[in-house]
Amino acid sequence: MATIKSLDPRVARAELPTEPTEVVLNPEEQWETYEVFHQKKSGARHIHQGTVHAPSSELAYTFAKEQYGRRDQTYSIWVVKTSQVFTVENDNSLYKTVPEKQYRNAGFYKVRDKIEKFKRQMNEH
Amino acid sequence: MYGGGFIPDDIDKKVPVDQEDPVRLEEFQARIDAGEKIEPHDWMPHEYRRQLIRLIEQHAHSEIIGALPEGTWITRAPGFRRKLSLLAKVQDEVGHAQLLYNAAETLGKPREAMINDLLSGKSKYSNVFNYPAKTWADTAVIAWLIDAAAIVNQTTNAKGSYGPYCRALDRICQEESFHLFYGYESVVTLATGTEQQRAMVQEALTRWWKPIMHFHGPPDTSSVHGNQLERWKVKMASNDAMRQTFLNMYVPKIWELGLTVPDPDLKKNEETGQWEFGDPDWDEFWEVIKGNGPCNHERLQVRRKAEEDGRWVREALMARSGKQVLPLS
Amino acid sequence: MNTSALENYILKTADDLLVLGHRHSEWTAFGPVIEEDIAFCSMAQDKVGQAQALYNVLHTTFGYDHPDTLAFLREEGKYTCAQLVELPNGGYDTSLMRHFLFDHAERVRLASLVSCPFEPLANLAKKFKGEVEYHVLHANTWIDQLGNGTEVSKARMQTALDELAPYALGLFEAIEGEQELVEQGVVVSEQDLQAQWQAAIDPILEKAGLAAPDWSSITPVVGGRKGYHSEYLAPLVKEMSEVLVIDTEVEW
Ligand SMILES: [Fe+2]
Ligand SMILES: [Fe+2]
Ligand SMILES: [Fe+2]
Repeated sequence: MATIKSLDPRVARAELPTEPTEVVLNPEEQWETYEVFHQKKSGARHIHQGTVHAPSSELAYTFAKEQYGRRDQTYSIWVVKTSQVFTVENDNSLYKTVPEKQYRNAGFYKVRDKIEKFKRQMNEH
Repeated sequence: MYGGGFIPDDIDKKVPVDQEDPVRLEEFQARIDAGEKIEPHDWMPHEYRRQLIRLIEQHAHSEIIGALPEGTWITRAPGFRRKLSLLAKVQDEVGHAQLLYNAAETLGKPREAMINDLLSGKSKYSNVFNYPAKTWADTAVIAWLIDAAAIVNQTTNAKGSYGPYCRALDRICQEESFHLFYGYESVVTLATGTEQQRAMVQEALTRWWKPIMHFHGPPDTSSVHGNQLERWKVKMASNDAMRQTFLNMYVPKIWELGLTVPDPDLKKNEETGQWEFGDPDWDEFWEVIKGNGPCNHERLQVRRKAEEDGRWVREALMARSGKQVLPLS
Repeated sequence: MNTSALENYILKTADDLLVLGHRHSEWTAFGPVIEEDIAFCSMAQDKVGQAQALYNVLHTTFGYDHPDTLAFLREEGKYTCAQLVELPNGGYDTSLMRHFLFDHAERVRLASLVSCPFEPLANLAKKFKGEVEYHVLHANTWIDQLGNGTEVSKARMQTALDELAPYALGLFEAIEGEQELVEQGVVVSEQDLQAQWQAAIDPILEKAGLAAPDWSSITPVVGGRKGYHSEYLAPLVKEMSEVLVIDTEVEW
């Protein structure tokens, strides 16, 4: 059988056939996905970083550690199955803020005018 | 609704834009014009989805195949410093493939399907990786100039409209800056080293120049895609514009090292501010795309072998839920 | 302190790490799944980096050659790695099993060195701890999952274990002067390390559904510590140094 003469010694040793091989992956062969949450340092929040493909939580964690924690400072990592993450379809439509809801913000509450008016009145007396 | 469910019926099917709901289409365009990012579960035109999958998938393939030319020297890297750097660099490229496959998956094409399209030759990857890395100096030239060219492309695309792709690219670009500096330092070490080392790096540069000039794709006149992709911020800059940016940044650095670019016509037109260059042999470019480059066949056989050898590992741990789960974002 | 024995102890530890790190690195871009490729490459880097640090102790404290010269430009017979680390990667079964057997050994060795009176070594043992903890976690997870996977994966892991067991015992081949180092409280005896190692791995193998070998009945493959190697080390060394030997006097 003719084999590929590669410049890469690793490939040369593998003696790959020159004839194209047919390889087809089956559905789910790359397992399922896990969402990865990364905490930079103690005191910081866990922040979603991305996903890993894995067959179990244990391996997902093992993979996430290197894919998302090998360079950045890391304190802790969480993984959770994507299929366990609940959301509502087109949920962004639920978050369109109604302007009348300003009473939930600090800026809605104004006191300076009242205080100034009060001071003026006090001075007048 | 739980995460990771959406799989469109037939991603490969073409739905012309004029068959989309005009109101939604207009809203969609308005969001993009306003600089908003599109997220996986947002409505999007079928053609936007299809083209993005194609783009991101090819980018992912380019990363995983791109690990191979430099991988040629992984067992032979000279000394600890280079050994560790090259390992980390090639590892990053594999990591980039991981991030990009995930980004593409959010659009509804499972990673298995993408890998299958790579292995069958249906889906393309960057042509540049179909050239061999003949000497150690090739790894230096690749890490510096191919990565530099890729960075021009990636930083441009990072400003595109699709959220998951932009996020993947942000991360990738951070790592690419290490590749660039590692590559530059490697080239500088050789170029300022012995005669023998200088000759090695010059010879590598000479061989890689053509593929480097091909990197950003054919001149825009012969490009297959029109303005629609630019309006959707899928394609962010023309091939020629990216090539110009690259030449502007790196030709002076190459010349500073006293290295010669094998193109006597290469010069900057000071009036137009544009680089002019000789024909980089577009015929060869198209030949390599067709699969007739020096390493096309080897690259795919290597990936096929890796997937085949890894199959028992993957199958041993398959849950076979019958329901494909795709990443959320 | 018997310094020449201590030097040899550091050298063999470094040689093991360098050669196995190199073998691990051969998987880069060829792994069974992308995520695992990244993890395995990180461990290769860790090992090569640890080796470098140990060679550097020999260089700075004992006047040995520069780590690059020491690591890559020695004759094959001057390496004192165990034969376990030289063997070709084979399939992922063999690579994972070797990684499991080796990293547990490294873990007990490093734990024993944390209190080494030779401070540079004790410091490195502390410094490497986090990396080795991850390697062991990674190895344990895989052994458990593949052992408990399918009949195919279980059989493959068992075969790998049976094939590698005699080589793994070779990790505990004593070096010359060990006795003295042990008596002076510099290192823990190989015999003790082996006992700790067995105690650590046997339950994990059992939980993975794999049959731990009857270690006492196995003849260890030894010789590595004295410079006797398998047929695989010489080509590995030649390959590692291929570029370096073009010109050994310059920076690359
Ligand atoms: Fe990359
Ligand atoms: Fe790259
Ligand atoms: Fe890169």
